[in-house]
Amino acid sequence: MGNSWTGVATWKWIANDDNCGICRMAFDGCCPDCKLPGDDCPLVWGQCSHVFHMHCIVKWLQSQSTNSPCPMCRQEWKWKAG
Amino acid sequence: MIMIRSIFLFLDRTYVLQNSSILSIWDMGLDLFRQHIISDKVVETRTVDGLLKLIERERNGEAVNRQLLKSLLRMLSDLNIYQTAFEKKFLDATELLYTAEGKRLVQEREVSEYLLHVDKRLAEENERLLLYLDQSTRKPLILCVEKHLLENHLKYILQKGLDQLLDENRISELTLLSNLFSHVKDGLKLLRQEFAAYIKKTGRLIVVNPSNDAEKDRDMVQQLLDFKDKIDNVIAECFGKNEKFINSMKESFESFINQRQNKPAELIAKYVDSKLRAGNKEATEEELEKLLDKILVIFRFIHGKDVFEAFYKKDLAKRLLVGKSASVDAEKSMLSKLKQGKDVFEAFYKKDLAKRLLVGKSASVDAEKSMLSKLKQECGAAFTSKLEGMFKDMELSKDISLAFRQGLQGFQHSDSIDLTVNILTQGYWPAYPVVEVHLPSEMLRFQEVFKKFYLGKHSGRKLQWQPTLGHCVLKAEFNNFKARKEIQVSLLQTLCLLLFNDMDELSFSDIRTATGIEDVELKRTLQSLACGKARVIYKIPKGKDVEDTDSFRFADDFKHKLYRIKINQIQMKETQEENASTTERVFQDRQYQVDAAVVRIMKTRKTLSHVLLISELFNQLKFPVKSPDLKKRIESLIEREYMERDKDNPNLYHYVA
Repeated sequence: MGNSWTGVATWKWIANDDNCGICRMAFDGCCPDCKLPGDDCPLVWGQCSHVFHMHCIVKWLQSQSTNSPCPMCRQEWKWKAG
Repeated sequence: MIMIRSIFLFLDRTYVLQNSSILSIWDMGLDLFRQHIISDKVVETRTVDGLLKLIERERNGEAVNRQLLKSLLRMLSDLNIYQTAFEKKFLDATELLYTAEGKRLVQEREVSEYLLHVDKRLAEENERLLLYLDQSTRKPLILCVEKHLLENHLKYILQKGLDQLLDENRISELTLLSNLFSHVKDGLKLLRQEFAAYIKKTGRLIVVNPSNDAEKDRDMVQQLLDFKDKIDNVIAECFGKNEKFINSMKESFESFINQRQNKPAELIAKYVDSKLRAGNKEATEEELEKLLDKILVIFRFIHGKDVFEAFYKKDLAKRLLVGKSASVDAEKSMLSKLKQGKDVFEAFYKKDLAKRLLVGKSASVDAEKSMLSKLKQECGAAFTSKLEGMFKDMELSKDISLAFRQGLQGFQHSDSIDLTVNILTQGYWPAYPVVEVHLPSEMLRFQEVFKKFYLGKHSGRKLQWQPTLGHCVLKAEFNNFKARKEIQVSLLQTLCLLLFNDMDELSFSDIRTATGIEDVELKRTLQSLACGKARVIYKIPKGKDVEDTDSFRFADDFKHKLYRIKINQIQMKETQEENASTTERVFQDRQYQVDAAVVRIMKTRKTLSHVLLISELFNQLKFPVKSPDLKKRIESLIEREYMERDKDNPNLYHYVA
C-alpha cells in the first residue's frame, strides 16, 4: 500500500451566463421539471455558443413546428459536440 | 325470640298470615324491642356512642372486639334504625376525625409518607366495611375519607411534593399518587396541570441558557432525551399511559423547547452529528436507530408539528362544526406555522454531514441513510433532496476514482500516489471558500492528470480543487529510517510535512512561502503537528502557540506504539466563526424569502397599508420574524424601486411595476 491521497474538488458548469435563458433558473440549479441539479439535469451547448438546460431546449425544439431556432439568437439550433 | 316464634308457630302461620293488619310474631318482636329498649333515648345514645367510641379506638390503632361491633350493627340494621340512628353520626364522626387528621398530617409529613398514610386509611376503611359496617355505607364513607384526606388538599399536596417525586423518579409513589387522585373529582386534572408545569419548569432550565454557556448547550440535547425518557417512563408506569397525560406532556415539551428560537434545532443537528460520528463505537446499530428515533421525537417538538397538528385538528374541527372560526385566512396562516424553524436545522445538519462524508468519519453509510429517510418522512422529500444529492456525489466519486485508477494502470508513476477524488456538485454542498496552496510538483501533475481525465468524461464543467478538505496517508521513517510509520493527516498537514523530506529544520516563514497556506490556517496546522498528542515535528522554542518567529525541526526520535497514527487537524473553533456563518446563511435565505413575499403581496394588491402588509407577511412567512426586520426589508425594496411610499400618506405603499 503506497501513499494515498484523497482530494476533494467541487465542480460547476462552465457557462457564459448565470441563468438558463428559457426557464430563467440558475444553471447551478436545475430546470423547473427537475428536483436535483447535476447529472440528472445537464446543460447543453449550441454551436451558437448559447447554453440551456437540456430539458428546456429539448422542450423548446419540440414546440417549434418548422425549423428549430436557438431561442436567444434565432440561428438554427445545432448541438455542439460535447 | 326464636323460641317464642317456635312456640307460636302455628298461630303465626294460620292466623297472622290471613290478617294483614297484624304483624308477624318476628316483626312484632322486633317492633316491641325497638319501641321499648332501643328507642329509649338513653339506651340509643349509649349504644351509638359506644359504637362510635369503639370504632374511633380502632382507628387509633387499638384492637377492639370486632365481633361485638358486628353483632351490634347487625342488630341496628335488623331493627331498621341503622341509617337513622347510626350512619349519620358515624359519618359525622369520620368527617371530623379525617378533617383534623388531613390538616395536621399534610403539614407535618413528607408527601410520599402522607400518600402512603392515605392509602393505608382507605384500606382500613374498606376492611371495616367488609367486616362489620353495612354495605350501604360504602359509598358515603369512602367518599368522605377521600374528600377530607385528599380533595381538600390536592393543590397543597401537588405543590409540595410532585416536583420532588418527579425529580427523584419515585415510580411507586407516583403510581400511588395517580391512583388516589383518580378517585377524586378534578384530581387527575390538577395532577395533569402540575405535571405539565413541572415539565415546563424543568425543561426550561435545560433549554434556556441566558449566558450562552457552550458547555451547557452541548449537554442540552442529551439532557432533553434523558428527561423525555424519564417522563415517558413515568407516564407509562404511573399514569397508565393516559392519553391526556401524554398530550399535556407533548404540549409542555413543545412550549419549553420553542422558548428559545433556533438554538435547539441547531443543537439537535449537532447532537445527531456527534452520534453518527461516534457511531458503532458507542452503540450498536439498533441502539443508534432507536436513538435517532428519539431525537426525531424531540425534533418534532421543535416544529410543534404533530402535537400542534393533533390539537389543531381537533380544535379546527370543533370550530368549523360550530361555525365559530374567525376566518378561513386566519386558519390557513396557522397551518403555515407548522413549518417553523426547519431551515436552521437543515443548514447545520448539512454542514456536519458534509464534514462526515468527506473525512470518512461517518459511523456507516447505512446509518446516515436511515437518518435521512427518517428526516424525509418527517419533513417531506423537498427537505432532504439536497442531502440525498450529497450521497449521490459520494457514490459517483467512487466510480470515477476507480475508473481513473484503472485508466492509469501501466501508465507513468502509477505506484507512487493512490489518488481518490471526491467530486462535489456545488449546489448540494455547503459553500467552501476557495483557498490556493502550493502543491509539490508531483502532486500538482497528478492533480492535472485527474482533472483532464474528469473533464474528458464530463464536458462543460469547471473543476475547483478544495485543498482544505482533502486528506492523505503518508509513509514516514523515523530513527534514521529504522521506524516506519503511516501517518493519516489532512492535505494541509501533508504539505507541511513533505517539506521536511528535504530539510531537517525550517522557519515559520519558510513554510509559509513554500506551502502558500494562509497565516491563521498554517499556525493551526503546525500546532497540530508540533504541539498535539503525537508530535512528529518539534517547535523551537517550545510552547503552546505558534508564533511568526518560531522554527520547526523534524522529530527523528519520534516514538508511538501504533503503526498507523492519525493526527487530527486542530478544529478551528468551528464554533464561533463557522457557526455564525451558518446562522448567517440561514438568515440571508430568510431575507430573500421576505423580499419575495413582499413583492408577491404587493404585486397582487398593488396598494397596501403598512399594517396590512406586515400582517400579510406574518401569514405567509414560515419562520419566526420580527417586524423591525420586515421593515428593513421593505425599506430596501423601496430603495431598489420595487415599490414606493405614497406621497401623502407615508403608511401606504404602492407596487412599482
